[in-house]
Amino acid sequence: MAAVAVRSLSAAGGRRLLALCGRRPAALPRTAFCSVRTFWVTSAVRSADQKFPPPFPDASSPPDAAEEPSTSPPRYTDQGGEESEGYESEEQLQQRILSAALTFVPEYGWSSEAIAEGAKSLDLSSAAAGMFENGGSDLVLHFVSLCNRNLTELLEEEHKLVQLGSTEKKPTAQILRDAVETRLRMLIPYIGQWPQAMGILLLPHNIPSSLALLTALVDDIWHYASDQSTDVSWYTRRAVLAGIYNTTELVMMQDTSPDYEDTWHFLQNRISEAMTMGESMSQVTATGEAVIQGLMGAAVTLKNLTGLNQRR
Amino acid sequence: MGAPLCSVSRLCRASWRAVRPGCQRLHQTQPTGKETHFGFQTVSEEEKGERVYQVFENVAKNYDLMNDSMSLGIHRLWKDWLVRYMNPTPGTQLLDVAGGTGDVAFRFINYVQAQREKIRRNKLDHQQNLSWSDISMSYSQEQKGSLMGSKAVICDINKEMLKVGREKSLQLGYSEGLSWVAGDAEELPFADEKFDIYTIAFGIRNVTHLEKALEEAYRVLKPGGRFLCLEFSQVNNPVLARLYDLYSFQVIPVLGEVIAGDWKSYQYLVESIRRFPPQEEFKEMIEDAGFFKVTYHNLTSGVVAVHSGFKL
Repeated sequence: MAAVAVRSLSAAGGRRLLALCGRRPAALPRTAFCSVRTFWVTSAVRSADQKFPPPFPDASSPPDAAEEPSTSPPRYTDQGGEESEGYESEEQLQQRILSAALTFVPEYGWSSEAIAEGAKSLDLSSAAAGMFENGGSDLVLHFVSLCNRNLTELLEEEHKLVQLGSTEKKPTAQILRDAVETRLRMLIPYIGQWPQAMGILLLPHNIPSSLALLTALVDDIWHYASDQSTDVSWYTRRAVLAGIYNTTELVMMQDTSPDYEDTWHFLQNRISEAMTMGESMSQVTATGEAVIQGLMGAAVTLKNLTGLNQRR
Repeated sequence: MGAPLCSVSRLCRASWRAVRPGCQRLHQTQPTGKETHFGFQTVSEEEKGERVYQVFENVAKNYDLMNDSMSLGIHRLWKDWLVRYMNPTPGTQLLDVAGGTGDVAFRFINYVQAQREKIRRNKLDHQQNLSWSDISMSYSQEQKGSLMGSKAVICDINKEMLKVGREKSLQLGYSEGLSWVAGDAEELPFADEKFDIYTIAFGIRNVTHLEKALEEAYRVLKPGGRFLCLEFSQVNNPVLARLYDLYSFQVIPVLGEVIAGDWKSYQYLVESIRRFPPQEEFKEMIEDAGFFKVTYHNLTSGVVAVHSGFKL
């Protein structure tokens, strides 16, 4: 029974917890108790774990399980950041290893050696790097998503300040420019290794994930630049910004000016170009529509004159 | 499992008349708790240990020759794959259990040496204009610790196998980083948390108590350490399975008789392969021992499988 419970629990992703239960030579009822309740709330189980015995002896009855979520808010995942009990999921540990590995990227490049060093710095065996089967790719993708998350947080803060009225709202072009610049500045500590990372991101098996990260980035920036378009321009806007981001990134790799001034000039120019292009596009469509209407009118007049429109 | 076993029993009914017909795998769970399997026979646990010892005492001299002839040399590729998959960094401490003739350990040493060479080259690439003194310094450092602290401990219960392995290491010219220890996989003669990687290649199926061996593996590994097991497993492809059974029961004992003059030992070898739990079941056993992120890879469509797990 215990084995079955343990297995079903492991299937639900709570492997760490399973080890907690399994490592102690615990009695059968306790393991069974865990298996039912962890599906709902990890925190509740943990608190109950401390003040043993469990509040309800017959935990396997369904009403108990059903009532559980109402007593405390359910937490289906362990992604809620820091765990107070010094206890984390497999994924969190992996994220921690990758974050620690970033320190070693300037020395070892985007490689599994860097991950191994990162694991060592967390007092883990260097063999833990074997958890990341794609080695360097996993590290780069982790870094990119980390940067994206940081940027989103920054933009969110700024957005809040604007809403509270403590700062003035910047024009769209300015928001875009600043966001791209902030994001690119995050690469500076790894600038020597960044070409390698760009290469890794373009490997065929990484393209789906790296493309997803790029679109998410562009999407977030446009969101905070308060884009509310629902027509075709939704796509063009994102495509244009992604293009600007990537070309500026390439310029940055070649840039030797102090504090990457040339890069920011380049960025400024591309953004203003895009803005004028957007305006002229709308002008062109407006003019085009007027011209077409004029031509249609002329055609009708011509028909009338030649008598083609006459009904007989 | 049922189908291949039936075909097996049909193929070679003559060779084991006395054997129990229903092949339940887990004899340890029987109420007596004292009986286990030795090939397709049921023996007491003490007897199994002794008989396994005898088998390997008999085959030790011709072990490598027989491996080559029975697997047509493919076992070398499997071991190469294992070490490539392990991807050890310089400084890794390896424990190779049941590694009598040192096949995995020698590959490990070679791999670590290659890795160190790579790191050295990268370093030289980084600092392009080195002074002569720097270069000579780097060379003298290299002489000092050419493995950068990596060590492989080979542990085998069978002294004959260890002897063969040690002779082989002298022949091949491995001088450093190897130590040979006689010890039981169920009671490893090592302190807790000593090793980065635990490997057991074609050995775990000869252990009487699998669970105990797995627990011991967990004990001696450092946190973050990795468990790797290369073992014969279940062939998934039905056509190949039929051929494989034919080959193992009809050809291998004959080869054993012809080359090594020992039919029975090789009969045991093939039978013990059939008694070993299939991939998924063994994976669950590893998980029950406390390992995380347990995965397995089938090589040669499941003739052998590599299981990997991490102690976190």
